[in-house]
Amino acid sequence: MKIVARVRDGELLNTVTEAAGALEAELIVIGGEEGDNDHQLVDALRTHPDLVLIEYELAGSLGELRAETRARGIGLITVCRNGEEGLSAARAQVDEWFTYPFSVEEVEGRIQAAAIRVDPDVASRGQARTAEYLQYEELLYDRFTGFPTLPVMVERGREMLERTGRVTILYIEFVRYSKLEEIYGWQKLDEVLQTTANGVRDFYDRERGEEENLLMVSHAGDDDFIFFTDLRGSPEVTDKRINEVSERLEADVRTRLEEDHGEDIAGLFGIYVGAATIFRNPKIRTERNLYRGIREAAQAARSVVHRERTRKIADLKTTLRRGAVYVEYHPIVVTETADVYGYEALARGSLRGLRSPEVLFSVAEEANLIWELSRLCRRRAIEGMASLLDPDQFLFLNVDPHDFRDPTFRYLDVDDLGIQHPELIVFEITERTAITDYPAFQEHLRNFRDQGFRFAVDDAGSGYAGLGSIANLAPDYIKLDISLISGIDTNFMKQNLVETMVSFANDHGILVIAEGVERDEEYETVKGLGVHLTQGFLFHQPRYAGRPKVKQLAD
Amino acid sequence: MDRQETILVVDDNRDNVDILSAFLESRGYRVAVAEEGKAALSRLEEVHPDLVLLDVMMPGMDGWQVCRTIKSHPEYGSTRVVMVTAKGGFEDKFEGMRSGADDYVVKPVDLDELEEKIERNLSAGGRRQ
Repeated sequence: MKIVARVRDGELLNTVTEAAGALEAELIVIGGEEGDNDHQLVDALRTHPDLVLIEYELAGSLGELRAETRARGIGLITVCRNGEEGLSAARAQVDEWFTYPFSVEEVEGRIQAAAIRVDPDVASRGQARTAEYLQYEELLYDRFTGFPTLPVMVERGREMLERTGRVTILYIEFVRYSKLEEIYGWQKLDEVLQTTANGVRDFYDRERGEEENLLMVSHAGDDDFIFFTDLRGSPEVTDKRINEVSERLEADVRTRLEEDHGEDIAGLFGIYVGAATIFRNPKIRTERNLYRGIREAAQAARSVVHRERTRKIADLKTTLRRGAVYVEYHPIVVTETADVYGYEALARGSLRGLRSPEVLFSVAEEANLIWELSRLCRRRAIEGMASLLDPDQFLFLNVDPHDFRDPTFRYLDVDDLGIQHPELIVFEITERTAITDYPAFQEHLRNFRDQGFRFAVDDAGSGYAGLGSIANLAPDYIKLDISLISGIDTNFMKQNLVETMVSFANDHGILVIAEGVERDEEYETVKGLGVHLTQGFLFHQPRYAGRPKVKQLAD
Repeated sequence: MDRQETILVVDDNRDNVDILSAFLESRGYRVAVAEEGKAALSRLEEVHPDLVLLDVMMPGMDGWQVCRTIKSHPEYGSTRVVMVTAKGGFEDKFEGMRSGADDYVVKPVDLDELEEKIERNLSAGGRRQ
């Protein structure tokens, strides 16, 4: 890009020079007094610049200059001392004008805007395609999904409303039943959000192709999406069709989630659709009408979420009353020999919608029933182990630090639970839940230790505690978080960390367990690093102590 | 010995950049340079490096942030990233692991160790593709 600047003010000249530099534009400056170098300006125009930037008071007749530059296809920017000059500049139809004071960024933006106005292709010619332009694009189209953002959508919705007289708005709300990001890391959440967007796109592409309906989709940030459609017909028909459409949409997204991330992760998501229909009303400003509709649809989606939550809590109460959990026993093997060392018990709900332990516990937390659920899970796990474990195998049980406040756990009656060998039971304490009162907590641990129970720190390395707090708990085992293990064969940072933890453990008489070992290469790597025990689907699938006791109930 | 592999060196200290690039060039790598985080990201798109050697302590965007951004990039997310850190502390390594870094070297950089780490990362990166 080539810019001719006729500027006298030193501050302005500096700013323009800087802005041109940032845009990698060639700058030709003709300064000086009014009148005496008009021929310089005329000469400069003959060198085919893209833009002329000129101080208002140096322009002479702005009308003439405008005509001259327009004839040559040159953009014109005028710098004005005040609003009055600005108005005359605007009347003369310059491409851009601005007044004092100004920043380099503003001048840059004006230059770019003028350049684009003169020649829209200038943007794609490379030079002008700088950060600012990209930022605008990003504001209009979501970087993640490529869907238009809300302002673009509302503009199109307005057209739809004018044309068809009504618009139905579907608001898709995703609910996460776990702290997915905290557990699996932000990369995982990003991947999942990408998947939900892909599911939405599947739906969009298909529905748009099959039906004559107008259909538009927008990404409302994070994982919420908005559809505009013009479903027509009587209200009943429309309601029915909205339901059908919602179900298809939900099915598409769920299928994608299951395909890409497995049932466990897909189970952590609720997908809820709320709908609202608005009609053309000449008395209401169209944008306001649309935004009102979007709000209504969002509220409808939230009330579905709320209903669903109430239903899940009712299901949880049924689960507790009937003891409807079953236990999966995940084998933990000795790394060196691959012999089974013990099992980790993981409780799952029997009712549809409550299978995943994460969902189960997050619902229990909301309903304030966490102790009851924990008690049930522990009881089931211990009952099942009798038929499953060899006499020298260990049972790993998950315990939440909050459980220690539950009197029935704190004064756990070994005989009552039918535990013959407390020394074969290992309580896993997750590193994720913050332990606030260390002295009290350690006191509880001591009580259990005195009875013979052992302890493991779960999810070590997930980022909530360093080695210091692990040392404080003086556990018998450290379970390394899955994020440390996955891909460890090619990540030397992870190898180094695991090596450090193994050597720390060896110094303190602790055994290290690698969780989530899924590939041969990962197994060989942890073996090479001296990790004592290994857990993961690579060796054995989980086992059950008999099938779930309660038959699955219909919804 | 032209290996045709490109390494992007990111460091705000000109002297460090000079030493590292001279060394890497002498080992037959093509070297590109950036002096801060944002420049590193645009260089990444220009030169498509096979590996990024990334200083942690930089003004503006620090090395961890740059690493996170690279690793979440849809196109360049699989680029190997080796961090250059002043301390080799445990917490630092965790930070590195969480930001997705593949490896690290501690300052002052031992050039033989650096070469070995670069080689193992380039071959691990190739294996994964």
